[in-house]
Amino acid sequence: MRAAYCTLNFFDFSHLTKTPMTTDGDNPQTINLTINGVAVAASAAMTLVEAAWHGGVPRVTAVSCLESVCGSCRVLLRRGKEVTVNLACQTFVEDGLEAVFLPPQPPPLHHYEISDFTDGWNIQARFHEIFPEASHCRNCHGCVLSCPKGIDVEGAIALAAAGHFRDAGEAFLECVMCELCDSACPELIAPAHVGLFCRRVTAHFHLRPPNLIYRLEEQRKEKMGLTGASHDEHE
Amino acid sequence: MNMNNGIPLAQASALYRPDADIGSPPVLADPQALLNAFHPDYLGSSVTKLAVGANAGDSCQRELAGLLQAEAIIDEADLAGAPVTDIDVLVIGGGGAGCAAALAAAERGARVLLVTKLRLGDSNTVMAEGGIQVAIEPDDSIQRHIEDTLRGGHDIGNPELVAAMAEDGPDVIRWLIRAGMQFEQTASGDLHTRRAGGMNAARIVHCRDYTGLEMMRVLRESVIQHRAIEVWEQSPAVELLSNEDGRKCVGAVFKSLIDGRFRMVRTHSVILATGGVGRLHLNGFPTSNHLGATGDGLVLAYRIGACLRDLDSFQYHPTGLVYPPHLSGKLVTEGVRAAGAWMLNAAGQRFVDELLPRDIVSAAILRECQEGRGVRVDDGRVGVWLDTPRLERSQPGLLERQFPKLLARFRVSGVDPRHDPLLIHPTLHYQNGGVVIDVNGATTVPGLYAVGEVAGGIHGRNRIMGNALLEIISFGRRAGVAATAQRDRGPKKVTLEHVNRARRDLTLAGIPLTQAAPQILPDYAAKGIWNR
Ligand SMILES: Cc1cc2nc3c(=O)[nH]c(=O)nc-3n(C[C@H](O)[C@H](O)[C@H](O)COP(=O)(O)OP(=O)(O)OC[C@H]3O[C@@H](n4cnc5c(N)ncnc54)[C@H](O)[C@@H]3O)c2cc1C
Ligand code: SF4
Ligand code: SF4
Ligand code: FES
Repeated sequence: MRAAYCTLNFFDFSHLTKTPMTTDGDNPQTINLTINGVAVAASAAMTLVEAAWHGGVPRVTAVSCLESVCGSCRVLLRRGKEVTVNLACQTFVEDGLEAVFLPPQPPPLHHYEISDFTDGWNIQARFHEIFPEASHCRNCHGCVLSCPKGIDVEGAIALAAAGHFRDAGEAFLECVMCELCDSACPELIAPAHVGLFCRRVTAHFHLRPPNLIYRLEEQRKEKMGLTGASHDEHE
Repeated sequence: MNMNNGIPLAQASALYRPDADIGSPPVLADPQALLNAFHPDYLGSSVTKLAVGANAGDSCQRELAGLLQAEAIIDEADLAGAPVTDIDVLVIGGGGAGCAAALAAAERGARVLLVTKLRLGDSNTVMAEGGIQVAIEPDDSIQRHIEDTLRGGHDIGNPELVAAMAEDGPDVIRWLIRAGMQFEQTASGDLHTRRAGGMNAARIVHCRDYTGLEMMRVLRESVIQHRAIEVWEQSPAVELLSNEDGRKCVGAVFKSLIDGRFRMVRTHSVILATGGVGRLHLNGFPTSNHLGATGDGLVLAYRIGACLRDLDSFQYHPTGLVYPPHLSGKLVTEGVRAAGAWMLNAAGQRFVDELLPRDIVSAAILRECQEGRGVRVDDGRVGVWLDTPRLERSQPGLLERQFPKLLARFRVSGVDPRHDPLLIHPTLHYQNGGVVIDVNGATTVPGLYAVGEVAGGIHGRNRIMGNALLEIISFGRRAGVAATAQRDRGPKKVTLEHVNRARRDLTLAGIPLTQAAPQILPDYAAKGIWNR
C-alpha cells in the first residue's frame, strides 16, 4: 500500500459515545468488558459491535447488516462460568462480559446441486444419502441453545429425518445462516444446511403458481408467434 | 445539515397524545420548491462537476466526486510477488447480483471465481423486506410495468434496459423458485401480490417480510454448493487490471482482510456486482445499508474509463430510525405508512401527506427538522414522530400481524411501537444511478460488466419499490451468460496502465493526490486493517 488512505470521515460518531435518549442527561454509565481480549470501556446502550469499534478492537470484519439478519457477527460470550453464543449486533454490553468474535463456520461437508434432483419420489432417499447424520440426532439441544433466532432446530431436524420437509423448512423461516447450530452440533448434522435443503426442495418441487405460469405461457406463445411471423415473411 | 435545533425530547413527549384530534396535513402547493430547498440532491452545495474521466463536466455528489477523482490504493510495487489465479469468469461482490451472475455463468459451463469483501451474502440484498416486482396478475402487463418504472424514474431511465428487465420478470421468478426460493401464495396457489407506491397494479411478490433474506440464503447456498464456483471471502477488490494500453479490463487485485496479502486474478470477463454507497454517509446522512456499501465498484469502474450516470441522484428513504441509537438509520418499511401511519412534528401536527413520493416526504421531514419543529434527542440528532400508537389504536393487532420484524427489532431495547411513537429521519438508502450498461450488463470498457445496484440507467432519478431485487437477478443472469459467451483466449499481459493514466489526468487537472480510493470500509469500522 502506498498512498495514505482516504481520510474522509462523514459519519457523526457522537451518538455512540453520548447518553442514550432515555436517561435524561444523567451521567452515562460506563460498562467494562473485554472483546477479543481487548479491554473496552463502553456506554450502556451499545451493542458489542459498537463497543468493539468504540474501543478500537482491531480487525472486526465479521459484521455487515447491523440488524441481526445477515448472521455474520457470531460471538462467544463468557459470563463467569457460563458460556453462550449470539449475534454481536443484537447483544448489549454488560459489566465483566468476555466476548470473542468467532471465525466463520468452514464450508459444509454435504454436497448437492438442486438441479441433480429430477424425481420428487426419491427425495427422502436422496436426503439421507446427502445428510446421513441427520438421523443420528442425540437430542443434546446444542443447536437450540445456540440459535440467536430462537428456532426449534432440534425439532425441525426430527421432522426432516422423517421426510416432513415442508414443516421442517417452515421452522427455519427466520434463519439468518449464522451456522451457530452447525458449530454446536456434535453429530456434524449441519442443521442450518438441512433447514435450507428442506426449504429449497419444497419450493423446487411444489411451488407451481398458476398466475406466474399463465404469464410465462403467454410470453412463450408471443415469442413463438413472433418467430412464426418472421418465418412467414421469409417464405 | 443543521441538527442543533428542535424541541427537546422530554418536552415533545409530553405534547404527544395518541388520541389527539389532528386534522389533515397542509396541501403542498409547490413540491418542486420543497425539493429545491431541502432535498440533498438539489442543494447546490452537495453537487460539483467532475473534472477528469469519462464523465468530465457532469455533475456529481461532492463526496463521491472526491472518491472518483482520487489516487489508487496500490501501484506496481504492491503486485510484485502477488500470486496470480486464472479463471474464465471473475465475479466481484457476493450479494444477489453477484450470485446470480456466478450461477448463470456456471450453468453455461464456465469456471467461475466469486470474490467478496466480507462473508458471502453480507449485502444489501439480505436486508430487503418488501419484495420483488413482476407483472403476473391478469389486470397487469409487462408494458404497464415498463411504463410505471419509467414514469417513477422521472422519464430519464433507459427504455431498452427497463423493457429487458420487465420482460425477464416472470422467468426470473421461475428461476428463483427452481433454485429453491419460497414465495407467499394465496389460498388457490397463485403468487400473492401487493401494490406499492407508483404502481398501477398489484405487482410485488414476496416471502412475508423476509424476501431479501430468503433470496440471499437460497442463492448463497446454491453458490456454495455449485461445483464450478469457487468463493473467496474477506477479500475486497482494491483495483482492476488492464491490458497494455489500459483500455480493456483483464482482471482484478484483491487484498485479504485477514492477512493483508494481495492476490491477482486474470480473466477475459470481470463482472462487477459491488452494490451501493450508503456507507459513504453522503451529505452526512445515516444509512439503511450494510457495512460494505462503500461505492467501491463505481471508483474502480471510473478509473479504468467506464462511463457512469446520474451520480447526483440518491434515494433518501423517509423513515430511518433515530432511536434506539444502535439502529440509527435502519429502515422502517414504507408498508407502515401505506397501512395508515401518520407523521407528526414536535408540536404534534401533520406536515405532509405521508404517501407522496419518497423524495418529497423526505424533503418535508428535513424542513421540519431544520426549521426547529423536530424532536431533539440528547446527542443532538433530530427527528419527527411516526405515529405507530395511533395506527395500533385504529387497527388493533395490525402491527403484530403485518410487521412482526419491526416489533422484534425493538424488543431488545424496551421500545414498543404499539405504545411509543417512533422517532425517524431520512436515511441514505439507494444509489439511483451508476455504471452505464447495455442489455447484457456490458459497460463501455471491453471485458468489464456491471450488474445490480452498482449499475445505472434503469431507475432514472427515482426507484420504485421492488425493482432493485428484480434488476439484480435479471441483469446478473444476463451478464453471466454474456461473459461466458466471450471466448477469447484471455489476456497475455496484465498491467496497471489505467491507474497510471488516471494519475496523469489528475495531475494535469491540478487535483492533489492526497486522497486514495476505493474506501472499502467506513473509517469507524476499519481499525487495524487500513492505515488511514
Ligand atoms: C434495508 C433495505 C431494504 C430494501 N428493500 C428492498 C425491497 O423491498 N425491494 C427491492 O427491490 N429492493 C430493496 N432494497 C434494495 C436492494 O436490496 C438492493 O438494491 C439490492 O439487493 C442490491 O443488490 P446487489 O447485489 O447489487 O448489491 P449487494 O446485495 O449490496 O451486494 C454487493 C456485494 O458486493 C460486496 N462488495 C462491495 N465492495 C466490494 C469490493 N471492493 N470487493 C469485493 N466485494 C465487494 C459487498 O460486500 C456485497 O456482498 C432494499 C435495500 C435495503 C438496504
Ligand atoms: S437455525 Fe442455525 S443458522 Fe439458522 S439462525 Fe439458528 S443457529 Fe443460525
Ligand atoms: S446439536 Fe445436533 S445432535 Fe444436538 S440436538 Fe441439535 S441436531 Fe441433534
Ligand atoms: S451484523 Fe448482520 S447479523 Fe449482526
